[in-house]
Amino acid sequence: MSSVSDGNTMMNEQRREFIKKTALGVLVGLGAASGLVPAFSLEKTILPVWDEKPVPGKIRWGMLIDTRKCKDGCRQCVAACHHAHNVPDFKNKKDEVKWIWKSSYQNVFPTASQQFVSPEIQDRSYLALCNHCADSPCTKACPTEATFKRWDGIVSMDYHRCIGCRFCMAACPYGSRSFNWQDPRTAIHDPVTTYPTREQGVVEKCNFCSDRLVKGLQPACTEACPEHALTFGDLNDSRSDIRRLLETNETMQRKPELGTKPSVFYII
Amino acid sequence: MIEKALKGNRSYWIWIAFLITVIGIGLSAYSQQRWFGLTVTGMGRDISWGLYIAQFTFLVGVAASAVMVVLPYYLHNRKEFAKTVIIGEFMAVSATMMSMLFIMADMGRPDRLLNIMLYPSPHAMVFWDLLVLSGYLFMNLVSSWAMLGAERKGVLPPAWVKPLVYISIPWAFSVHTVTAFLYAGMPGRHLWLTAVLAPRFLASAFAAGTALLILVSLILKQTTGFDTGKDAREKLAVLATYAGVANLFLLGTEFFTAFYSNVPAHKESLQYLFFGLEGKSQFVPLMWFSLLSGVASIIVLLVPALRKSTKWLVVACSALVLSIWIDKGVGLILGGFIPSPLQEIVEYTPTATEIFITLGIWGIGILLLTILLKVVVAVKMENEQ
Amino acid sequence: MEVMMKSKKLLWTIAVTAIVLFTVLHVFRKGEAETPPSPVHRVSLIDSTKCIAPAAFMRANHMQVLYEWRNSSVRTGNRVYIASNGSKFEKSLNTCLGCHSNNKLFCFNCHNYANVKPKCWNCHLSPMETP
Repeated sequence: MSSVSDGNTMMNEQRREFIKKTALGVLVGLGAASGLVPAFSLEKTILPVWDEKPVPGKIRWGMLIDTRKCKDGCRQCVAACHHAHNVPDFKNKKDEVKWIWKSSYQNVFPTASQQFVSPEIQDRSYLALCNHCADSPCTKACPTEATFKRWDGIVSMDYHRCIGCRFCMAACPYGSRSFNWQDPRTAIHDPVTTYPTREQGVVEKCNFCSDRLVKGLQPACTEACPEHALTFGDLNDSRSDIRRLLETNETMQRKPELGTKPSVFYII
Repeated sequence: MIEKALKGNRSYWIWIAFLITVIGIGLSAYSQQRWFGLTVTGMGRDISWGLYIAQFTFLVGVAASAVMVVLPYYLHNRKEFAKTVIIGEFMAVSATMMSMLFIMADMGRPDRLLNIMLYPSPHAMVFWDLLVLSGYLFMNLVSSWAMLGAERKGVLPPAWVKPLVYISIPWAFSVHTVTAFLYAGMPGRHLWLTAVLAPRFLASAFAAGTALLILVSLILKQTTGFDTGKDAREKLAVLATYAGVANLFLLGTEFFTAFYSNVPAHKESLQYLFFGLEGKSQFVPLMWFSLLSGVASIIVLLVPALRKSTKWLVVACSALVLSIWIDKGVGLILGGFIPSPLQEIVEYTPTATEIFITLGIWGIGILLLTILLKVVVAVKMENEQ
Repeated sequence: MEVMMKSKKLLWTIAVTAIVLFTVLHVFRKGEAETPPSPVHRVSLIDSTKCIAPAAFMRANHMQVLYEWRNSSVRTGNRVYIASNGSKFEKSLNTCLGCHSNNKLFCFNCHNYANVKPKCWNCHLSPMETP
């Protein structure tokens, strides 16, 4: 009995050695091949670095919304934004995707005083959109940095990397983010060819029209507003229009007590 | 050793067949979800997490609760837990596996799961959660399997097992603390934005997990004759009681801060859950049931005569588990989203697809536990002869 | 022991039969007349010396180029690529499609032949969809 088991052990040992050597041999072979044969080489493509790499923090984009000018029933900004970015319209509240929308005073400023608010202010509409916070909780929460703070202050989405965990949606104190609960391409009514769509399973939100800024254009909402209620500009440039208006008007922000430092301001 | 799970009586195979059926239905429902998207669930823009994350939260707690039996046995040599420890550890393995599966079920792009590892983000709690959960699964499975194997061969376990078990003790605490940190750092969700969330998680985990362990050991006794010992169950019941009392106390402190301070942000979610808000009160009956059954189960467990009676023990433990399952799942997760950041109240009901996927994942976890425990019972009963 | 041997034999017979049947039915199935895939059509009347890199390099490495461009444009903000001959291009799919716009099957020709299915077109508008 013992000689058979000894024989078995010897066979097992030999097998182990064989497998080890073969595996090692394969690895060595691959390694050599990758060096010798160009087709197998795994080196990265080298692209030259252009000196135009932006300086982080130089520009900080911001928006000022003059709510006194916002007309009742007008939705041009929403329509322009959603059209320009192929934002889907699923026609049901559950799956809704929106980048910008109009809402009431209590909804947009729930932590502001709600006592004896003048009827005029209560009747007005207030725009809600991503605040592109300087200290954004959503970028802190993202486990893949699919949403991240850009060099120019814009809180950006990398749709290629998003895993759809929806942590950023839980983290956002303003409800600015939407998830693609289904394929958006079935619900885009008037698609444009100048901007991609998104896929099922990723989060999206206002991008401060970074696609238009790159072409030197103003954001779609700002351009579309017939009353010129929206002012967009560089908050770091003390001579910009937006800074001028911020200095000469009393402005308000959404939930400032949370320390998010939004980049969107409201003139009430 | 795994071959021991392939030998069983008729009831065993019927149970396996049942679990596989449930899993099959779950897989079919999941394929629907992968094709059509998460729209097939009841989640929406305002309630962006639902049943899946609720199960995840509860199950991470159950996984962490293994420490309640590992700590006394390994650090304090409480020999009465000798037969219970491995059951607790394998329960932790099964619960951790289920938690991770629930996360995967909830993701919009599970095909991109590895992005969390490819682009590590230390500022994100999910990153750490994945690390600690994977580590916990690994260390429990490997150390328990090695110990069981050694016991079967009648030798001492290898030297590396003890350190691994010792590490798993603080690791268990960190597992559930990191999970609590997922929620406790969100500035817009005031039900979660409380320092007491992590202690509450640990207390409820130790109560529910320990109660579940008692129930599992009773089921094992009933179905296989393998008895972990009345002494062990007794001690576990005491531990569950203390943890349950702590959990109720912490819930009480939450209520105090919310309603005495009268701050709307602190109050509103609890108001919605327990009293209804603006006419919407979908979960009120469920939350009161959870609270009352939790209190009742603790009262029963506090009475020694009742605690020692198997019948009362089963009732109390089941009620405790159910109570905490509702509170941590429905209450905590859904309550966190209501009211929405824009003060809207949107209600949530899981869909059939969502429920089938949930049951399927529970099926996978219970199947894994069944297989592991079958091996345990086979080895231990073999050794007893 | 006898019974075990018999059932083992039975199982093996079933397994082997299954594998043989499956192979036969799958490999030798009747179906759509499968013509061998055709080689790449050459539709381009484009001056490929104006491309960002030589055609051979692009064919071998366009995946890496696009990956680098994507990260650079989206995440770093560096949107300008300098080719080896000094000319500048914007790091965008539109750069490629801008020149190769006359060919509606620009990417698909090779990808269909090679049976590669990248997910770019789930979001980006493909040559077939751009006017």
